[in-house]
Order: sequence, then structure tokens, then C-alpha cells
Amino acid sequence: MVDVCIIGSGAGASPIAYELANAGFSVVVLEKGKDYTESDFNKDELAVCRRDMFTPPLWEQKHIINEYNEDGTFTRYDGAESGWNFWNGSMVGGSSNLMSGYFHRMKPNDFRLKSVYGEIKGANVVDWPLSYEELEPYYTKVEQVVGVSGKVVEHKFQEPRSTADFPYPPLQTNGATKWYDKACKALGYDVMPTPRAILSEDSLNRKGCFYSNFCGSYGCASAAKGSGRAALLQKCQVKIITNAFVYRLESDDKRVTRAYYYTKHGVRHSVKAKIFVLAAQAIESSRLLLNSKNEYFPNGLANSSGEVGKNLIFSAGGSGSGRFVFEKLSKEQQEELMQPGVFFNRSLQDWYEFSEDGQKYKGGTIDFLFEHQNIIPRVMQEVYDSDGNLLWGEALAKNIHKRMTTSRVLTFEVFNDWLPTDRCFVSVDEKVKDKYGVPVGVINLYGHPQDLKVGEHLAKKALKVLEELGCEEIDYSISASPPPNLVAGGCRFGEDAKTSVLDKNCKAHDLENLYVSDASFMPTGGSVPYTWTIYANSFRVAGIIKERLQLKKNLHSFKNKML
Amino acid sequence: MTFSRRKFLAAGFLSSAVFLMDGCSLFGVTTPIDTIKVLHRDLFPKAAELNIITAPYMYIVFHHSRISKSDKVFIKNGVKWLNEEAIKMHKNSYVKLSSLKRQGVLRSIAKTEWGESFLYNIMGYMFEAMLGDPIYGGNNKEAGWRWLAFSGGEPRPKKAFL
Repeated sequence: MVDVCIIGSGAGASPIAYELANAGFSVVVLEKGKDYTESDFNKDELAVCRRDMFTPPLWEQKHIINEYNEDGTFTRYDGAESGWNFWNGSMVGGSSNLMSGYFHRMKPNDFRLKSVYGEIKGANVVDWPLSYEELEPYYTKVEQVVGVSGKVVEHKFQEPRSTADFPYPPLQTNGATKWYDKACKALGYDVMPTPRAILSEDSLNRKGCFYSNFCGSYGCASAAKGSGRAALLQKCQVKIITNAFVYRLESDDKRVTRAYYYTKHGVRHSVKAKIFVLAAQAIESSRLLLNSKNEYFPNGLANSSGEVGKNLIFSAGGSGSGRFVFEKLSKEQQEELMQPGVFFNRSLQDWYEFSEDGQKYKGGTIDFLFEHQNIIPRVMQEVYDSDGNLLWGEALAKNIHKRMTTSRVLTFEVFNDWLPTDRCFVSVDEKVKDKYGVPVGVINLYGHPQDLKVGEHLAKKALKVLEELGCEEIDYSISASPPPNLVAGGCRFGEDAKTSVLDKNCKAHDLENLYVSDASFMPTGGSVPYTWTIYANSFRVAGIIKERLQLKKNLHSFKNKML
Repeated sequence: MTFSRRKFLAAGFLSSAVFLMDGCSLFGVTTPIDTIKVLHRDLFPKAAELNIITAPYMYIVFHHSRISKSDKVFIKNGVKWLNEEAIKMHKNSYVKLSSLKRQGVLRSIAKTEWGESFLYNIMGYMFEAMLGDPIYGGNNKEAGWRWLAFSGGEPRPKKAFL
């Protein structure tokens, strides 16, 4: 029997493995995907982005998606038939390998949303049982151990920090950021460099960023990106079993006893451990618990509250863009604009909280970045003319050439709270099964109207920057469409075992030895991408488990001595 | 990457017969690859100007482990429907029409839902061949990238993902 068995290997799992293995405990990680090293990663657009090499084919593993309609019904989509893909990276290190690494901390008020902003009709907003001050040391630890580069600048919503600045200087940026900074100054907006989980220089036995021009969606060949694999799992003695799909956790009335998994050939195995940590990413963690029902937990493991799968959240908001065109730029500016590799890295948090019509709203974050460099989708955007007709032949070639060589698109992404509601949750479909014969997860989707209102407010502020910059074709879209890579909730933590799945330590209320350490624990998500908070919380939970195991070990030694 | 005769023969789906109907009667037989070769040239002659041959990439598409069977069937059906539109309009299969008439057929199908979807699909794969990594056999000596002043990301793949 091992000390700890971890299901999953991403941002929620890897800090646990790192901390416990380095403290001398035996740790087994069960990961559904394959393992990779830096030398396996390249920038093959066809493999990574067109053929989705890091996620399972949908005809083998899919989700059922129920989208809520205004009339109270749900429209059902089969993930394979519709191509609606909620997988984010089945590989050692999970989707942290493929993230862009836009790292923002949650703000103190994000931990007490209900107390500060009050009830919201139709939403299940609650305060966290944890404060920012309690999590702060772990945010700092992530900066240092995983590696976050950036520069702290004072602004209205700058969160308190225990250190003055980031441990790594900001990454290099494109010359166009100077124009952005000037535009923001003219508008009275606070310029803020975007912190990134990317090393800007060689450190931590990893290389600094190579500026390959292809970051998000791709594995990092330099190991500069702070994936759970590069930053943590490669730095501890942990047994990682790959191609291991965990389909059931076995328990008695108090403890999880075994994790059962299938190999890629469908052979069944199991692992026994003193402590089990579930971190398979929010939707799959809830699915596994619901699929693990037994005589003691007939509604799903750790689900005496009936809350498993409930209050699933994503990041609300949307995106927008504007195009810099050569006609409006000097020769020097044109060259600056087209400089490849270096980042844009600018954010706005001026409206993390705002008032409208006398009411105070929780706002959010806006990140500015260049359009992804993948060439094929950029070219495919040009196959329609302005009237929506397909273009081909000479006209298309001329259009593509002009757009690709004499303009560049600046985009922005809005992150605001996706309010938790009764209509957005995970369940399982007893009839539809994946290639292992296991019931697939059902994602029930609903976006609260306030999410859209806040998103609109923020997007309009971002548009002013694009206008000030002289961009053309300015456009944006705020919708209730969920970003699959920004998902949380389903096993919210709280003090009350009747209304939450996990306690403050992210241990299941119902079981003595089951922890959930991915984003499932989050009752609300803040208005930032989740990864930094997932890492920080996982380091916190690792400390709690370490203390528990250490205590047990000391007691054991003491008993032996007494004998 | 070159396409050996063995690989060509193995690529049954792309070189297998597509029966073309004129109403209820059999008009003739073609293969997807014959039509796609001409279709690619009609849709984007710039590729040939750059010495990029895109049609053989469709062998990879039709055998790719990550492209669903239904996507492959859709292309094959699209080839059939394109040819049947050509027969309906000009009493001949697509490849046997003049360039002018082929353009007319394309304009006609682009107005239909299936035709628009088919052409979009075909162009997607065509640009994959033209602008994907040269290891996949298109994008001859990076001519597609050079045309657009684009640099592929580093490191480059050492083998194709099939």
C-alpha cells in the first residue's frame, strides 16, 4: 500500500506529488494520458491544433452537453456528433502543459463575494471558507517554485503581497506595447504587464523562454512554461502510471480503499493507498465520484449532500479584436508590429469592481494579446468576403497575402465571474458510455444574465483601447459559451457538510482519506484564469496532507519505540 | 514525403470508384483524387505557382487516425455531389469541363448549404497541405510560408503525426 494515490497529474495534482514525494512519502500518480519530455514537444500546427494530438478522439471519449434554453428546456448535444470538445490535455502535467500561463491572483474580495456584493437572484453565491490572507503564502510559493515572471505595478485593485515583486523579470514584449501604454495613459487606464507562468531567464534547472511565437495550445520545448510536469513532477521521485484511466473508487463507509483503472488495452488494475487525492479536472472528478456509487454512497461517492457535480462554473466573458494596418503606420512601426516571438502581455484590472446605476458589481480582468500565430485559422478567416460569400482563386490569394503581410490583429479576453447556479452542473449519462464502457459525463450549461452584463461592461472598456490605438475592424463577442479550459466547481468546499462536498482542507466531508485538489473545490471562481489559484490551493492541501502523514509516521515510530 | 505505389494502392478510399448518377441512371465513374486534384487548382491556383502540390496530402487526410470516418465520408460524398451538379449543368463530369464551366459549377454549389460546407472543408485541408509543416509533403521548401512572410515555430516536428 502506498501513502498517497493521486488521480490526475495537472496543476491540482502535481503540487501534492511534489511536496509529498520530496518529504519521503510514497506517491503513485494515475494519469490517463501519455508522458512527454521537452524533446517531444514541437510546433506542429497540424498535429497539435488541427488533429488535437493531446486530447482523446471524441468518438472514443466524449461528453453529452445539455444547453439550457430560455423556455426552461435543455437542448442536448452529443459531443462526438457536434464536435463540442471539453478535453483540455490528457497527458502527464495535464492542460498546464498547453496553457498560455496568464497568471493573476484572485483578489481578497473574491473570497467573500456574498458578504461584499450581496445575494444575486438565481445564483448560489457563497463566501469561501478560506481567506486571501490564508492562501497568499501559497500564491507566493507558486511564483517561486513553478516560476512566475512579471512586474508589480500599483493600481486600484492590486492585491496585497508578502513580497515586493515577482521573482522573475517580465518577458520581452513587442514594440507595439509602447503604443498600447500611451493609449491607456490617454484614457486614464492603469497599464499593467501580464504576469506569466513562463521563466524569462534560465532558472530552477529549466531554460528561459525561447520566444518560439507559439505558446498557448503547445507543449513547451524549453521548459520555461510552468507546467505541472516541467516544474514539479520532473523534480520528485514519484511513480507515474500513464495510460491509466481511473473508472471507480472503491470505499467502505469511512474510507476509500482502492482506485480501479483501465490500461490503454482495457486491462483492469487497482491501487491501494492510505490517502487518495482526486484531481482529474473539474468535470471528470465529479464524473468519477458519481460513477463510484456503492452501498454506502448510493448517490455517488462523497455525495451524501447531493452536491457532487453541482455549481459547475467556467470563466464568463468573451473576447474582442482590432486590426493594426500598415497604411496607418510608419515604416518603423510596421517593422515593430511584425516582430515575431515576443509577447504583448498587457492587462487591465481597472474595473475589477465597478458601480452602475447605484449598484456595486464585481467586474473582472481584461488581457490583451496578439492573435494566435497559427497560420491556418488565420488564412481560413479570409475565405469569406464582407458579404459572407465564399471566396476562392486569385481574389482569395490577393486577400490572404495582403492581410497576412500588412496587418496584425490585437485581441483581448475578458474574464469575469461565471455565477454558480442550479442549472449548471455535472451529471452522468447511464446509457452513453465511453470506449472503456464507463458512463460519460453530462455537462449541463447555463450562464447567468449578470455574467453577460458584466462582460459587456468590461468589453466596452477594452474597445476604447483598440479605438485609441487606431485599430480597424474592431469587434467583440460576449456570450454564455463556456471556455472548456477554464472550468471549476462541482465539489465546492465549505464548512457545512449538508451544502458542500469538501471541508476547508479539501477533504471530503464524508470520507476520512479522500481529498479533491483540482478546481472542483472552488465555490466561485474569481475574475481571473484559474490555474494560479489551483496551484496555490494544491500546495496548501499538500501541506495539510503532509502534516497528517507525518503525524501518523511519528506516532508509528513512537509506538515502535515503546514496544 | 513521397507517395509510393504501395501507399497509393493502400489509399483505397481516395482512389476508389465514386458512381455518378444523372437522375436515376448511372452517368459514369470517377475517383475522389481525380476530382480533388482539379478542384484544388481551381480553388487556389497560387499553390501551383509556388510549386506546391496539395492534392496528395488528401491521402494523409483519408488515412488519418484523428479524422473521423464521417468527415472522410463527407468529402467523398461532396465529390460525388459536385460531379452530379456538373452533369446536371453541363452534361459532363467536373474534370472534363472547361475552366470557365467549372467555375460556374463552383459558384452554383457555393450557394447551397452542402456545397459551401464542402468547399470550406476542402479548402481547410488544402491550406493544411500548403501551410502545414513541410514534413507532411506539401508546403514545398516552405514556399507557402515564405509567400506570407511567415516563420514556422521552432522546434519543428521530426516526424508527421498520422
